[in-house]
Order: sequence, then structure tokens, then C-alpha cells
Amino acid sequence: MRPLTETETQTLFTKLANYTGNSLKNLIAPLENGPNADRYVFRIQQSRCYYVRLSIANLATSIAREKLLSLGTCLGKFTKTGKFRLHITALPILAEHARYKVWVKANGEMPFLYGGHIVKAHVGRWSDDCPEHQGVVVYSMNDTPLGFGVTARSTQEARRLDPTGITCFRQADCGEYLRDEDSLFATS
Amino acid sequence: MAPSRTSTVKSKHATNKSGIKNSKTSTRSKSDGVSKPKSAKSKRTQSKGVSLGSVTGKGSALNKLKKKRRVYTEKELDIPALNMITPVGVEKPKGGKKGKVFVDDRESMLTILAMVHADKEGQIESKMMKARQMEAIRDARKAEAEKRVEERKDRLDEAKEGLRKKRKRAAAEREEKAGGGVKAEAVAGTRPLRKRKSVSFA
Repeated sequence: MRPLTETETQTLFTKLANYTGNSLKNLIAPLENGPNADRYVFRIQQSRCYYVRLSIANLATSIAREKLLSLGTCLGKFTKTGKFRLHITALPILAEHARYKVWVKANGEMPFLYGGHIVKAHVGRWSDDCPEHQGVVVYSMNDTPLGFGVTARSTQEARRLDPTGITCFRQADCGEYLRDEDSLFATS
Repeated sequence: MAPSRTSTVKSKHATNKSGIKNSKTSTRSKSDGVSKPKSAKSKRTQSKGVSLGSVTGKGSALNKLKKKRRVYTEKELDIPALNMITPVGVEKPKGGKKGKVFVDDRESMLTILAMVHADKEGQIESKMMKARQMEAIRDARKAEAEKRVEERKDRLDEAKEGLRKKRKRAAAEREEKAGGGVKAEAVAGTRPLRKRKSVSFA
């Protein structure tokens, strides 16, 4: 387990900034006022990046690297080429700071949770002025985050789209907790 | 006087050889002949000494300049701060792999975040601008197409009207040509019937 290097931090923040707005800086804000206040930090353990409280990360140093399975919230993993892949486990953090959102109707929830893209007929509402290929967080109509993806069309273009046209490409959904149960937390 | 004379004789030769009459040596030679050659030697050596001295002086200045050029800073010399023995393991090898530099403090993370955010903001803004421009172009094209369709429709209607009018006119002309035809009867009603009758029987 180790902190992130400068390039890794930049890669991670670039990825997160696809989905979040300016409030992302609250991620690393100290939890209390004080010189030695606890805060959240990013740690890498076996190429997976974790968002964890500093006090817990310090405690975790007493566990051998190969024995440490997970700590804090897993945001995703760094590929061997240095890119970053977000996992569905990062959804609570993204949902909290999301910039662009898409709400799907009740009839569109299951198709999305089974791994389908979002068609226009299933969209309940969406954020205005959303450009094309922009990261969005997908919510159900009662504001429960379901997953995230990227927009296929801008908001204006999507208005003219036919009902079966794809408006948002799925990247991750909560169904992965069941579908990828075996590989989601396993490190090998 | 005699020894002095002898001395003078000796000195006379010397004075003649030297060729300097008013020099101190010549005057001295009169008073003391023995000391004369010594003085001459000393003079020579002095003069030599002076000349040598001047040469050596120049050399020393050059040496000083050279010395000034070769002043090293402490960094160049690479002397350890404290002259003590450093264990082999503690001393870092020069020019080797430096290892990863971790970013764990909040300030540097915030700096990176601000940079990334500004970059993303610019990207989104440019995307939006591009989308808006494309939208405007698309609208203009759509309006133009609609206008063209309208124009074509108008032209078609005009042609239709023209044809209709033409047909009417032709029909009327035919009627005119036919004169008291059957059609004229139908159009004119009862009055031309009487006329026809009168005409036919007249």
C-alpha cells in the first residue's frame, strides 16, 4: 500500500472530473478544523486505488501487503499502461459530486441494471446543456444512483432523437455487484 | 699620498675603462681604490637584481591571476558538511534511480486538482461552443431547405393555376368559335333559343 505519485493523481483526478463538478475538492478536505485533523487520502494496493481515511490507512500499514485485501472505498484500478478504470464501487463518491445527471424511468431501470444502454424512451429527465460524450451519473426517478456512463448525444440533439435511439452509453451499473461478484474484489 | 697615487693609477685605468667621469664610483676610486671593484660588482648585481625583480614581479601578478581563476566553490569541491565517516549503506549512490515521488499533502493535490479542473472546464466549454455552432448551422440549413420546399410548392401551384386558367380560356374560345353551338345554348339559357329560332326561320 502506497500513496499515489503525481502522474497517478493527475490521471485519477482527470477521470473523476469527467463526472464531477468543482465540488471534487471536497473529497480531500479535512474532516475537522485542526492541525492534525483526519482526512481522506488515496492509496494504491495491488494496482487498485482506494479512497480511505488517513487514520485507517495508517492502521492498515500493520497488515502485510499480500494479506491486505481491501480498505476504504475502491475507486477503480490502474491499468498496466497507466490509465485508470473506474469501478462501480466508486458510484457513491461520484453520485455525491455529480455534475450532469440522467434520471431513468421505472421501466428503464431493469434494462440498465442488466447492462443495457439507456434509450431515449427510458429517460425521465436529464440535465440541461449537457455536451456529447460527457460523463453522467444515472439515477432512478427517486434519486437512487444506479450507475454511470457517457452521453451519446448532447441534450439538444437527443431531443430530436427517436424513442429507440441511445442517449447514454453504460459504463458501470449496480448490477455489476452481482454479475462481477467474483472479480470485483478479488485481486488476482 | 703614495699609496693613494698607486691606487689612483689603478683607479685611473679603471676610470678610463669605465669612461664615466662624474660618476660616484670615479670619485670613490680617488678616495678608496680597494672598495671600487666591489662597488662595481655590487652595482652590477643590484642592476641585475632590479631587472630580475621587475621580471619576477610581472610573473607573480600572472600567477595571482591564475590563482584567482582557480578558486573553487565548496560545492565544486564536494566536501561533506561535517568531516565524519558516513556508513556505506547510508550514503545515497549518485545518479541512480531516484524512486517514486508521492503526492500525499493536501496543497499539492489541490493544485493538481485545480489544473485538471481548469482543463476539463475548458474542454466542456469548447464542446458546448462547438455544439451550439453546429446547432445554429443545422437550423440555418433546415430553414433554407424549408424555404426551398415552399418555393417549389408555390411554383407548382402557379403552374397548376396557369393550366386551369388556360383550359378555361381554351374552352371559352372554343365556345366562341362554335357560335350557336349546343354549348352556347346551355350557357345562354332560354333567350338565345328564341333568337336561334328566329334566325333559323328567318
